[in-house]
Amino acid sequence: MNARSQIFELTVEGRQVDEAVASIFHTVLFHRSVGKFQYKQEGSYSVGTIGYADVDCDFIDFTYVCCSSDDLDRNLKREISVFSEALRGNDGPGSGQISLEFFQKKKNRWPFQPERIPWEVWTVRLELIKLNNEHERQVCRERVGDMLTEKILYIAEVMNRHDYVPKMPNQSELDLIFDTSYADVQPYLFRVGFATSTPTNTSVGTTVKKLIKETLSL
Amino acid sequence: MYTLNMATVKLSIQDKKDLDKFTKFLALKAAQIIVQSRLGEKVQTKCKPHSSGTDWFNLAIRDLPEVLAEAKRALCGEVVTARLPLCVEISLRTVEGDSMMLETWCLGVLPEQCDPSVRVTYTVYNRMGILLKSLVSVTRVTPAYKLSRRQGPDSYVICYRIYMGEPQLHNLGEGYNQVRVGQLCTPVGTLHLSVSYRTKMTISPQNTGRDNSIMLKSDHFHPDLSPKHLRYQQSEDNSASLSDTIKVGAFADSCRQQQIPLEPELEIPNVPFSSLLAPRQQSPPRPSSVQPAEPPVETGGGAEVEDDGNGNVTPRCDSRRSSCSMVSNNEDFIMVDLKTPFATTNANSELGAFYLECQSAPQLKTFSEQPTLAEQVGDITKTLEAFETSMQEYDEMLNSLCLSDNNN
Repeated sequence: MNARSQIFELTVEGRQVDEAVASIFHTVLFHRSVGKFQYKQEGSYSVGTIGYADVDCDFIDFTYVCCSSDDLDRNLKREISVFSEALRGNDGPGSGQISLEFFQKKKNRWPFQPERIPWEVWTVRLELIKLNNEHERQVCRERVGDMLTEKILYIAEVMNRHDYVPKMPNQSELDLIFDTSYADVQPYLFRVGFATSTPTNTSVGTTVKKLIKETLSL
Repeated sequence: MYTLNMATVKLSIQDKKDLDKFTKFLALKAAQIIVQSRLGEKVQTKCKPHSSGTDWFNLAIRDLPEVLAEAKRALCGEVVTARLPLCVEISLRTVEGDSMMLETWCLGVLPEQCDPSVRVTYTVYNRMGILLKSLVSVTRVTPAYKLSRRQGPDSYVICYRIYMGEPQLHNLGEGYNQVRVGQLCTPVGTLHLSVSYRTKMTISPQNTGRDNSIMLKSDHFHPDLSPKHLRYQQSEDNSASLSDTIKVGAFADSCRQQQIPLEPELEIPNVPFSSLLAPRQQSPPRPSSVQPAEPPVETGGGAEVEDDGNGNVTPRCDSRRSSCSMVSNNEDFIMVDLKTPFATTNANSELGAFYLECQSAPQLKTFSEQPTLAEQVGDITKTLEAFETSMQEYDEMLNSLCLSDNNN
């Protein structure tokens, strides 16, 4: 099965990287999380409630909404900051991309690891620019805010299409679909990956790497 | 809803009941999300491992009692699906009493697009949850969000209104945007949620500058006669051409261009009060524009007067509510006829005319008397020749300068 892929391209100043990526990924995760399942006896379960919180950006004229889960926020921010540091480092390439990939697991025969099948990938491609003065920064704050507005509207559009999402699993298979490690929310299984060289090389590179890895793991 | 067909027949009574209930709560929660996002504060709700009875759609949306009451009053407790669309209107009101509609959120239903196979209790309920999440996200990115975060009792406040029926979008001004938040298929039709929002914000801090504030103060006694308010009603009809919608200021000399030939070339054009000397002119034909949304207000019989006896031509005001109108060539400038209580009509018109004369300066002659290319080239050649002949003088002057430098 081919995963759906959405690609966003943004041009930002170095210090806007974390917030730009977080606003997109948090909005996606907010839509792709459900309340915590609580199983009762006889296989029935109840679904918890997701809270949400407004987040004001410091370096962008923008406010986004995320699940109010500190753990989820911490994990995501950590992944993003690794990418951000690689991108902004002294010998950084000035452009790169980071992906939020939703996948489901498929059980394999022992002793092999379960196979990960991605079903939706959100990619943010960033190009860094250098700004010379506060006026340019002010313009950039607003410009990136406007760009993110478009992206949020697009995310809402995609989320409301009747596209494939994994079926609600039985209790025994819950871990194959959802990330149950969080105490307060239950997002679909996801991982974050990034690359900080020119995007065209990267996609080929990662594909080859992935092929080799997958061959070895069999 | 009565035209519904097979789908409704197939829908079990229980499903129909559930669907109505879900739709009702979708509407109530949507109203809460929208209004709460405009209160000017950051919202934060907590995750709960166990949902309680009020936690619809597995989303922790607070219920503000006042908003709930308003929304319920609008819904009337009837079968909601049959009475949609539901609209939530957000507007801004300044301390002076001016108000401006910012956006209208609309939850509607398209009965012709239905999906009888969809499962009400599971699929529809979940998709309603996703729709509400999208609503939460989108409410933070429309222009009204930033405005609402900056509201305050001494500048402006954000107001809301909830009503059933088709959205009233004509007050959103020209070029408003419409954005689809999301939609979902149910057995009785497609529910869709969208927002239309103003893109031209004319009440903004930079527009309440010194000049305007002088003129705008004049509506103290008629809060309804806010010129800004009027202005948005005038743009109801998008089909009207630009020239139809151009309004001339209350004291503006609408016939200035025709007057120019009457004046001798050597006279300084556009002397203040010169229009008093000019022959009376007919005002331009009344634009084929739109009726105001609200009933007209009578204003001392002055509104219909075309010529006020002072020689100033006052075009009829389109909306007939007062003699408010605006200067056509300056988008941001709005002028109000100064209707001072107890004063005779238009006692201030001379001042107004003077103000306008000063405000819109006459065209420079440079632009009206463009020399031909040949003339320009000729001029350059002459200038160059003149420079060459005076070369000696320049050299001398340079030398003298050098000498004086050395002396110092």
